This record gives sequence, structure tokens and C-alpha cells, in this order.
Amino acid sequence: MEMAVDTTKNPVPFDMAEFHGPEMAKTYNTKVIGSIIKKSKRPLLVVGAELFDDPVMFDKAIEIGKTGITIAATAHSIKGFIDRGYTENVYQIGFNPLANYLRFDDWMGLDGKGQYDTFILMGIFYKFASATFSALKNFKRDIRRISIDRYYHVSAEMSFGNLAFKPDDYHAAIDEVIAVLKK
Amino acid sequence: MGKVEGSFTVEDMKNVQINIGAVVKEEDEWDQPMGPFPNPSIATLRDWDFKLTDRYRIYYNPICDRCTLCTYGPCDLTGNKRGACGITQEAHQGKIVLLAVLIGCCAHCAHGRHLYHWVLEKYGDMPFDMGPQILVDAPLTRTICGIKPKTIKDFGPVLSYIEEEVAQLLACCHTGQEASYKDFDSKALHAGMLDSLGKEVSDMIQIIAYDMPRGDPDAPLVEIGMGTLDQSKAIFITYGHNVAGAAESIFYAEDNNLWDQVDIGGVCCTAIDNTRIGEGLGHPTIKKNIGTKSKVAGAMGWWRKMVRAGVMDCVMVDEQCVYCDVLEECSAIKVPVIASNEKILLGLVDRTNDPADEIVDDLVNYRVPGVIVLDPIKAGEVGIRTAIAVKPKRTEAQANIFLTEEEFKKHVESCTQCNTCAFVCPPHIRIARAMEEAAEGNLEPFSSTYEICVGCRRCEQVCPQDIPILKCYAYANQEYIKNQKFKMRAGRGPVLDTEIRIVGAPLCLGTIPGIIALVGCANYPNGTKECYDIAREFARRGYIVVTTGCMAMDMSLYTDEEGRTIWEEFPGAFDGGNVCNIGSCVSNAHAHGAGIKVATIYAGRNERANYDDIADYVLNKVGVCGIAWGAMSQKAASIATGFNRLGVPVVVEPHGVMYRRAYLGRTDVKEDWELIDARDGSKVYCEPAPEHLLYVAETKEEAMLMLAKLCIRPSDNSSGRMIKLTHYCDINMKYFGQMPPDWPIYVRSAGDLPLVYKEKMMKELEEKYGWKIDWKRKKILEGPIRPAEVAFDPTNIERKIRVRK
Repeated sequence: MEMAVDTTKNPVPFDMAEFHGPEMAKTYNTKVIGSIIKKSKRPLLVVGAELFDDPVMFDKAIEIGKTGITIAATAHSIKGFIDRGYTENVYQIGFNPLANYLRFDDWMGLDGKGQYDTFILMGIFYKFASATFSALKNFKRDIRRISIDRYYHVSAEMSFGNLAFKPDDYHAAIDEVIAVLKK
Repeated sequence: MGKVEGSFTVEDMKNVQINIGAVVKEEDEWDQPMGPFPNPSIATLRDWDFKLTDRYRIYYNPICDRCTLCTYGPCDLTGNKRGACGITQEAHQGKIVLLAVLIGCCAHCAHGRHLYHWVLEKYGDMPFDMGPQILVDAPLTRTICGIKPKTIKDFGPVLSYIEEEVAQLLACCHTGQEASYKDFDSKALHAGMLDSLGKEVSDMIQIIAYDMPRGDPDAPLVEIGMGTLDQSKAIFITYGHNVAGAAESIFYAEDNNLWDQVDIGGVCCTAIDNTRIGEGLGHPTIKKNIGTKSKVAGAMGWWRKMVRAGVMDCVMVDEQCVYCDVLEECSAIKVPVIASNEKILLGLVDRTNDPADEIVDDLVNYRVPGVIVLDPIKAGEVGIRTAIAVKPKRTEAQANIFLTEEEFKKHVESCTQCNTCAFVCPPHIRIARAMEEAAEGNLEPFSSTYEICVGCRRCEQVCPQDIPILKCYAYANQEYIKNQKFKMRAGRGPVLDTEIRIVGAPLCLGTIPGIIALVGCANYPNGTKECYDIAREFARRGYIVVTTGCMAMDMSLYTDEEGRTIWEEFPGAFDGGNVCNIGSCVSNAHAHGAGIKVATIYAGRNERANYDDIADYVLNKVGVCGIAWGAMSQKAASIATGFNRLGVPVVVEPHGVMYRRAYLGRTDVKEDWELIDARDGSKVYCEPAPEHLLYVAETKEEAMLMLAKLCIRPSDNSSGRMIKLTHYCDINMKYFGQMPPDWPIYVRSAGDLPLVYKEKMMKELEEKYGWKIDWKRKKILEGPIRPAEVAFDPTNIERKIRVRK
């Protein structure tokens, strides 16, 4: 597959001082990130209220949901899915309690089928998302942490580089991930 | 031998002195025996803390993975590794949280200590009289220390108690001391409780000394906003939290008939406290309502915007929340600075003992950019005189405050759209976009993001083009600045006993759905308006809305469709559908006090040295929830943690992750929600209420949902639960577009169901959740976690069991 966007450039935190420690996310291209997500047994896509700022991202999240990946809609982002008539595997939950549940092995997940093995994030206020990646990095290391956000997330394991000011590139990158998932 | 206070000499005995530290008076006027925990030390209430944190799991989100506190370091603690000293990441996070809470606690307590000394020096000891409508007059002091203060001096031992505990707690942070994260958090809860006590002492002292309102729901409306400062006069700004010097400036202006020459404006909590002076029961020397002559320039988040707008001629800083570059910023616009409190000295020369004439002369002629004057009376005089005298000399500087049209154009056109500014802006404003639009003549983006900007100046520091971005903001918002004129209700002080008698039962039964306490700054995440929106949403829904400090100031800057501020739209009592400004940061103690007073006045609980019992009551029976929507300092950490120990849940905004810790419940673990029925000691599995104790919300909408949810309590009667569930479901429908997914867990009987959704809900309970419904009698037969029982007396404390089964 041809990759239109290089998502490995600009590994700069969107809050410039947001460097947590020696262990920092590596940036990957969309094919690698898509493949890792596809291989996951229990992936969870977590999306938040920043999707309202770029509504096309709801459509892209729904595309991901249609590949069978459960979606946690944090804050009031569930409304974006309801408005689009997609409620199949989308769950309303706060980002803070979700992160708390993810720490515990005995949590049965949003669908009652068990704990997740891969945490995929996009569209959540940067500082909050960054701190939550940090919580998982420090206290729940057996869940893989993947950012498909438009920002580089230093405490994820795998992330895009910063695409904050290139919306077209970002959309194309997400489309490429979706294409891998659909393969 | 010199004679010291508290000593006497026995005749014919040489060189013998018997010292009596304190005379303990007989216990009169208090029918309560001493409770189990007077002046609790670190470990005393540990059992209570563990009850809380066993249910509300301590959740840390490290902001830094390393420990750099000792020479072993830096230690990489990533993945909960241990440092060289043996500490784990989670314990290290607990230590950082404790340090933050201690810093906040010290700020409030030291504030009180300063006022204590100053007030005794100026006025001597004064009776502690909160007026005829407040008999439970210092609820936190009574509950924590087990004493009833009679005079200001009685607060001395309370401050000493706090200071000793703080020293002990700080010692725990040394390398090689505490190792358990749970114990660090118990210590943080202890520090939070001490913080609440320190705040109460501070506010009680200033209420008495400066004759502030004793719970007046009709406290006067005062002027707020940059536009209220009369630029034809000299403008003296008092900035910080400690009213001592600011009050003296007001007295000086009054005594010397200078109000036609000077306007006094306040920034941050000093502003609120200025406007409270003289509105109490009467005072031998303070004129009635004199505080209303001063104005509120704005909350702390507006400080640098005020500097860029050039609304001031002289500034006096006292303590807390003062930007560290205040001297440089003021010097740049030829505004002299007076440091009036030892906590902020700014590297200036101490001129406390110099004649006022000489100090004023040096400031007015710019021989020095600022001075230290630690005598509040002299600081007040110097400030007013300097402002008046320096104003004519500032004409040129003032004329150049705003950019010219050409300068503005040149700057916005020089922006290269590199977006470096957006990477450092706390709310991530797309400043480059505003520059681009402005270059084409559209100032709207600069206007619409003016209140979202927190004035941190990080953008200016990284701009490769050296664009003075805040000056661009000021240029684009000149009309707004001129017209920023609103009204704010002066801080009313504590909740009246009579108000508690009216709302006690409705609160505990749930028919008043809850108390929403908005505290701290209103900086984030989307500007100051969100605090107004939240307060208004809940006041309209019949909740009791209380607020303090910068939150109260910022919510004053908006009006409804009829042009009314929130204070004109809603009455100011402690009652459903009211919005009450209870005062400055330290007045937050009255929100704790209200919870305690519900337990004592309404429920007849003994509060004396009985903290865990009262906290247990609040947790299980009083629907109250705090919200810090934009707070920036460590004081917010201590305020929230103090609320938490008293059983009050708190919601914070997304920047609140910088506090690094939340307390979150697990609804999927049934055992976490087991309560004791105090009637007979039986164990009852309950619904998760309140579900969380400290919660970070992502958006205003989520915050409002959580506020409604976290007011649910196990003791709600059916009518109360129905009302609370109605608001919970309604907010979810309004902002989320569906019913909240967890509503069934709060249903105990059909009577709990919101009337508007009742039929639909019963159907769903039957079809989706398999509950058994008797449709003829419209009753739920099977399904709920527990049945509704009016006499249920929930507690977490074994000693509250009245008769064991």
C-alpha cells in the first residue's frame, strides 16, 4: 500500500514542556500502526470531545467501529455518534473512570467480555490524554498504548508525529489506518 | 528576673517563677462532651481515610516519571520501578500530591497567622461574635479541635495545632520516611482537612476585625470590571489575598477625603475582601459599607490583561497568586509596586521604618521601581499617595499603552504562521489564525478568544518574531475593556443556622437536589464563561449554588437576556435556586461549614472533636459536590482534598490532571459499596453513591453531568431520588443525546423514577434488564440493588451502630 502521509516526522509534544521521562513514544507510519491494531485481540478505541471541532472525525471513528473495534466515547462525544445514527458498539463513559478501570485485570470491559489489550486514542484534550497515557505507562504496562491523535503523544508507545496544523494530512493518515484495518 | 505574660511571683520566694500556660475554663455553654478526636494527629483519622480510599481507588497520573528530590537521583520510576531509596512510583506520586496539598494548606494557614498577629496588634482582642443567626459559629474549629472560640485570641491555639501538624507532615516527605502511597494519601487528606481549618480561622478573623457580613444573603452589589475604574482618577490596585494592607488604603482614602482623586480596585481575592469591609454587625472604627467604595478590577486570570490595558497607576501586592514578574511588568509601564507582606518581597528594599513622605517621593520620582512596606497602615497610605502623585507623571507611558493601528498592523503582518505559540498556549488558542484574520482586518478571533487567553505570556516568549501578542489582544479589545462594567454580590460569609434549618431536611431527603460549590480560579479550559454556564444551569434546576473567589468574580462578567448579572437574576440565600457568593478563597471553609451544620443543626449530631462521624454523615446524606473549573494553584489541591476528607466529591477540569491524583469508584465491585445500617449493624449493598470522590472531567457538559450524579446519596428518599435522577437524566439527554447508561443502578423502587420518563423506564427495566414489574400497581418487584427504605441509616463507621442485631 502506498502511504501518502509520513506520520513519523515531528515527534514534538503539543505542550512543549510535556516530557515525562526517559521512556518516550516512537512514531510509526500508518501501515505499522494499522497492522498492530488489527492484530490486537481486544482493542479499544477511545475518542473524546475534540471530535466536535473536526466533525469528519466522527465519520472516521465510525468507520473504525465498523471493523469491529469497540469505541469508548468520552465526555459528551457520544452525541456525535447518536446524531449520525451509529450506536452499535459505542459506549458513553468518562475518560477518567475509563482509565481507572483499565488499571484492573478483573475489569470485564465495556461489553462485559473482558479487559482490553490495546488502548487507541484520538480527539481528547491534549494534557488530559497525555496524563492518561502516563498513568497506563506507569501502572498498567500490559495494555499497548497507541495514539492516532493529530498530536504526538510522548507517553504512548506508538504515536503519529505532530499533525496538529495539517488537517488534510491527518485525515489521510487516519484513512490509511482504516484501510489497513479493513484489509 | 523579667516578668513574662502568664507568670506571677510568690512573695518571700526568691528566684522562683511559676508559669501558667493557659487557664482551662470550666466547660460551660456547651452541652456536648468532648468527642473522640480533638486535634487529630497524622494517624488519628487514618481509618476514615482508608475507608474512603478503599472505595475510591487512588488513581495517579504521573506528570514526571522521575524522582529528583535527593542526590541518589535522578531515578527513573517508569513502570512503578523503585528509586534508589526504595520508593515506588505510586508512593512518589503520593509524596508529590502531599507536597502540593501542604503548599496550599500553608498558604491559607499562614494567611490566617499573619491576620491573627496584625489584627491583635491593631485592634486588640475582640469578641468572636457571628451574630444572632449563627450559633454554630466556627464549625470546622469545633469539629476538628473540639473548642468553641470566644475571642480572636482563641484561634491562636488552632493555628498552632495546624502549624505543628504541617511540620510533621512535611517531615514525612523527606527521603527515607513514608513508603506507602496509601499513607501518603491519608496524609494528604489530613493536610486537606488542616487547610479547611486554616481557611476558617483566616476568614473568621477578618470577618470580626473588618466587620464583614455574617451570612447576609442581601450583601450589597459592588462594581466589577476594568471599565469600572474611573480613569479620570488615580487607580490604586490591591492584588493578592490578604486584606490587611488593602483595608488600610481604603481607610486612608476615606479619612482623608480622597475618593474624588483615587479609585481603589482589587485583583484576586483581596478584591472580594475589600468589598466586604464594614457590612457586618457594626464596628467601633470602621464606617458602615465602606468596602463598597472599592471596586473589583478582576480575577487573577485578568492580571496581565489589565497591565496591557494600562488600567492602574500604582500596585500593592500582598500574598498568594501574584505573578512573579509583577515588578517587571509594572516597571515597564511606569507603575510603582509596594510589597506589603513578607511572603512576596521581590528583591526590593525594606522601607517599613522610613517616613512615608520619603517612600512616596522615591516611588513617584522612579528612584526605585518598588518598595517593601510591611506595616499595613503605612503601606496603605504610601499606596494611595503614590497613586495620586504618580498619575500625572504617567501621562506619556499611559498614552503609549495601546499599540497604534500601524504598530498593530505591522505586528500581525509579521506573523509567519509557524504556530509555535499554539504549542505552548495552555488552552491551545490558534493565535496564528487570529493574526492572519487581523491582518485582513477581521478582529473577531482576537475578541472571541480574549476571555479564553489566560495571559500566561508563554506565546510571547517563544514567538520568533517577538510579536507582543498580549498587546495585540489589548488593541483588539479596547472597546470591551472600556465597557467591562458589571455587578457582583459582595461575599456574604457563612451560612446562617436559620438557613440550615430550612434546607436541612430537603437536602438530606433529596428534594433540594444538592449543593454545588464552584471554587478556585475560572481560567480553563474554555474561558471564564463556563463557570457562569454551570452556575446558571444548576441554579435554574433548583440546586443551592455557592461560589467564592475568582470563580465568583468571573461569573459576574456575563448577563442574561434581560441584561441581568447572575447576582441580579438569582437571590443570594443558601437555598435552592439561589446563587450565593460566600466570599474569598478562605471563605470556602463556609462550604465545609454548611455540611457540618446540616449534620449538627438538622440531624443533631455532636460535632465536637467528632470529624469522622460528621464526614460520614456528609458522605452518605448531604448531596453536595464541589467543582474547581479552571483552578491553577496548589491551594486548589488542598481545597479539593479538604472537601474529600469531609465526604464531599469534587469535579475538576482537564488541566486538573496536573494535580496528578483522582479518587475513583468501581461500580463493578459490589463489595466496595457495602454500608452499615446504623439501626442494627446489618450490612447493606448500596448503589454507588456518590460514585467518585475526585473526578477529572473533559468538558463542561461532562462536568455538569457528574455534578448532578455526585449529589446522589444513599439516604435520599424516593421523592428526592426521583428529583436527582430527573436532573441526571435530563442533563444527559440535553448534552449527550441519550439517557445515561447507568441510570438503573440508582433505582430502588418505582417511586425513584423521574415522572417524565417513568413508563419508558419501567418498560426498559423489564425488557432490557429483566426486572420484575407489577404493572397493575406500577411497582418494581425484583431487580434493584436494594429496596428503598425511608428509615435506612447508612454509615461507614462501626461505632455508629445503635443496637446490634
